[in-house]
Amino acid sequence: MKKISTRQLLFFLACIMPVGKLVLLPARLADTSKNDLLFPLLVSYLVQAAAIFCALLVAKKGMTFYELLANTFGKIVAKILITLFAVFLLFAAFLPILEQKLFVQSVFYDTLPSFVAFAPFFLFAAYLLSKPLTSHGRVWDILAPLSVVGILGILILSLSSADFSALAPVGAAGWKGFFRGTMSATAWFFDAALLLPLLGTFRYEKGLAWKGTVCYLAGGAVVALFVAMFYGIFQEISPNQLFAFTATSKYFSGISMLGRIDYIFIFALGLVMSFYVTLPLKESIECVLEAYGRPRYLPTLLALAVTALFLALVVIFDYRFTEVLGFFTETVFWIIPIFSVAIPPLLLLLRRKRHAV
Amino acid sequence: MKNVTGDLDKTGEALKKLLPAEDFLTFDFPAEGGIDFCILFADALTDKELLGEQVIAPLRAYRGKPLAEEVKSALTSPETKTEKSLEKLAEEVLIGNPVVLFSDMDMGIVVGTKKIPVRAIAEPPTDVTIKGPREGFIEDFKTNTSLIRRRLKTGELKIDTLSVGRRSSTTVAVCYLDGTAPKETVEQIKKKLGEIDIDIIPDSSYLTHFLASRPYSLVKQVGTTEKPDIFCAKLAEGRVGILADGSPIALTLPYLIIEDFQSSEDYFVPPYRATFTRLLRLFALVVAIYLPAFYVAAQLFKLQLFPVKLLLTIAGSIRDIPFSPSLEMLLVLLVLEVLNEASIRMPKYVGMALSVVGALVLGETAVSAGFVSTPAIIIIAFSGIGLYAVPNLIEQTSVLRLFMLLVAGSVGTYGIILATAFIILYLVTTENFGVPLVAPFSPMVGRDLRDSLIKYNLGSLDKRPRTLHSPNKRRLA
Repeated sequence: MKKISTRQLLFFLACIMPVGKLVLLPARLADTSKNDLLFPLLVSYLVQAAAIFCALLVAKKGMTFYELLANTFGKIVAKILITLFAVFLLFAAFLPILEQKLFVQSVFYDTLPSFVAFAPFFLFAAYLLSKPLTSHGRVWDILAPLSVVGILGILILSLSSADFSALAPVGAAGWKGFFRGTMSATAWFFDAALLLPLLGTFRYEKGLAWKGTVCYLAGGAVVALFVAMFYGIFQEISPNQLFAFTATSKYFSGISMLGRIDYIFIFALGLVMSFYVTLPLKESIECVLEAYGRPRYLPTLLALAVTALFLALVVIFDYRFTEVLGFFTETVFWIIPIFSVAIPPLLLLLRRKRHAV
Repeated sequence: MKNVTGDLDKTGEALKKLLPAEDFLTFDFPAEGGIDFCILFADALTDKELLGEQVIAPLRAYRGKPLAEEVKSALTSPETKTEKSLEKLAEEVLIGNPVVLFSDMDMGIVVGTKKIPVRAIAEPPTDVTIKGPREGFIEDFKTNTSLIRRRLKTGELKIDTLSVGRRSSTTVAVCYLDGTAPKETVEQIKKKLGEIDIDIIPDSSYLTHFLASRPYSLVKQVGTTEKPDIFCAKLAEGRVGILADGSPIALTLPYLIIEDFQSSEDYFVPPYRATFTRLLRLFALVVAIYLPAFYVAAQLFKLQLFPVKLLLTIAGSIRDIPFSPSLEMLLVLLVLEVLNEASIRMPKYVGMALSVVGALVLGETAVSAGFVSTPAIIIIAFSGIGLYAVPNLIEQTSVLRLFMLLVAGSVGTYGIILATAFIILYLVTTENFGVPLVAPFSPMVGRDLRDSLIKYNLGSLDKRPRTLHSPNKRRLA
């Protein structure tokens, strides 16, 4: 399969990335920052946008992430670093997958509360993980319009119910609320890290860094609008509305007559999310394969192993989501920025070592 | 003995050994000049009238020397050739061309007077149009090539033939416009066809297995058409066409899934109408696949999907049904499939009666007896109609519908979403002859979207589809 095209990458940044931030994040931000929830979101987006700009500039070098590391630090250190990064990606993927599981159980089922509802996801994940990373590019071409339709549909159905004045007065939550919100949001902001394993799978074209950053920020603007609308609808009870994008549209006046037509858009976003939450897993596998080679059965074995690992983790933490969320947003919140914010600019500084590979 | 010898008896015997069946006849006669001639031909395949007029009559009057070229020039048939190999002569007899042997000459003359029974050109039942040409391909290869040549009067049209099938020796033609179809695609197709080692090719559909990149896949990977106008339009876009003798269905490659949402009629109506009908076909296909599945999933796992009033109606209808929603739907679907299968195979007048029995008697009685609910019948009927909006994908769609129904019955709504994700992933990673199946949507090719689900004005379609990699890019000057 050919490389990921610039358009596909931009679709990913503008249309796919925002979807992951529409489920639990709004409620979490409302919980920590109250009516000031847009500020931590804005800061997180700006920081990530800067990191994404750097990551896309790194693509100018025309090397993969592993090649960049190996050229500077040598093969052994590069292997250690890339393995660490692969582990980080698995770590970062855990919360979104658990979030997806909770979302699926609560939103798609009235009568099937068990883990059974989510188990088929791992069949899909195993299949997706066995496909080349570049095939994601083609998937983004299909998912981008779906995502746009999904988000637009939800926004259109919900906007009339929102009272944006609920966001005032600005600063009511104080600095503490702002910091707690920013800290919490880190668990959902590892977007720049997702670009690093993609290095080498796309060609740098003139202005890509700017275009990519603008697309990412455009997606962020839509998320911000959604989050504002979410708070405008639910106000003080926003923290209890865990699955934001499934909750906002249910007050649409036509629903009593037409039924939950908003589910069409929710299904579309659910489909996009199924691909989105699997991407870090695939990238983690790719990192390992890139560093350690690709013997014939290794990609499939790794795909199965990663799937089995996450299946086990989801089973283990099936009823401990609150603890997991607390752990990610309060205890180890600093880990994600190290990889997603610090590494991209550092990669820009890397110089080719003499006699390196 | 491998070649013809000057001994007429021995050569005749050798050929009879190769063709021992009783319907291979020989006719011996002396010419006025003294040469003995022997004609070997297949009884049912040779036009005896032509044979008499163009071969026997001139040879009886022949007074020249026993030289192949002289004898050939005496024949009035425009289609003659000489051949030494007995096996090749036997092959010619098998396809209906008589072989003329004569004393003291070590070669035979093949005369093209075969007669193949053909049916009249008619509108294909699978591709009916209201506006536009109505001619369809038939089983005769030569008639089909003439239908193509009539539409593409250019020397660039190449029709390269090869013989496929150990026993059937079916003539298969690779048709393309030289300079418009990519050379690599043409060569790859010829190579793949040349490598086929199979007993017989009864229909062109046999070839699709060998031309598909994923031959065991449910997904269609080779385009089919029964209409020469569509075939020629596809050649003009840069595709390669394949005709097989004995089959009215022509194949086209590379195939894009969007082709089956397009109809020849779309090009003869205003673009907005064509766009509307294409979107309608997509909608119908989605309804055909997903409606029964969502109905079952909603009943089993998510009643919220129904509006309250509809929910009450459904609740009233299903109250006394003895089956679970998925089993009920599955039963109705199976009945529909059986009725469908039976009505296609039955003679037309019985088919009508069968429809009445199926629709009225079975449906009505089953509902009043409380076996199935009215909503289930309505949903399956709607899905059944939707299926026929895209007739070229019926096989795939009906299997997908059943698959979705099973998924919905076991895993519910999220199962349907995951199954859709599977299908998307599978489709976007399928390519044939280097062309992605779901192009121009993925990978997205902006210009090619002008004739996809939406249809631009003819003036805007000035270039050939980029997806097909045609070396001749411009279509409209």
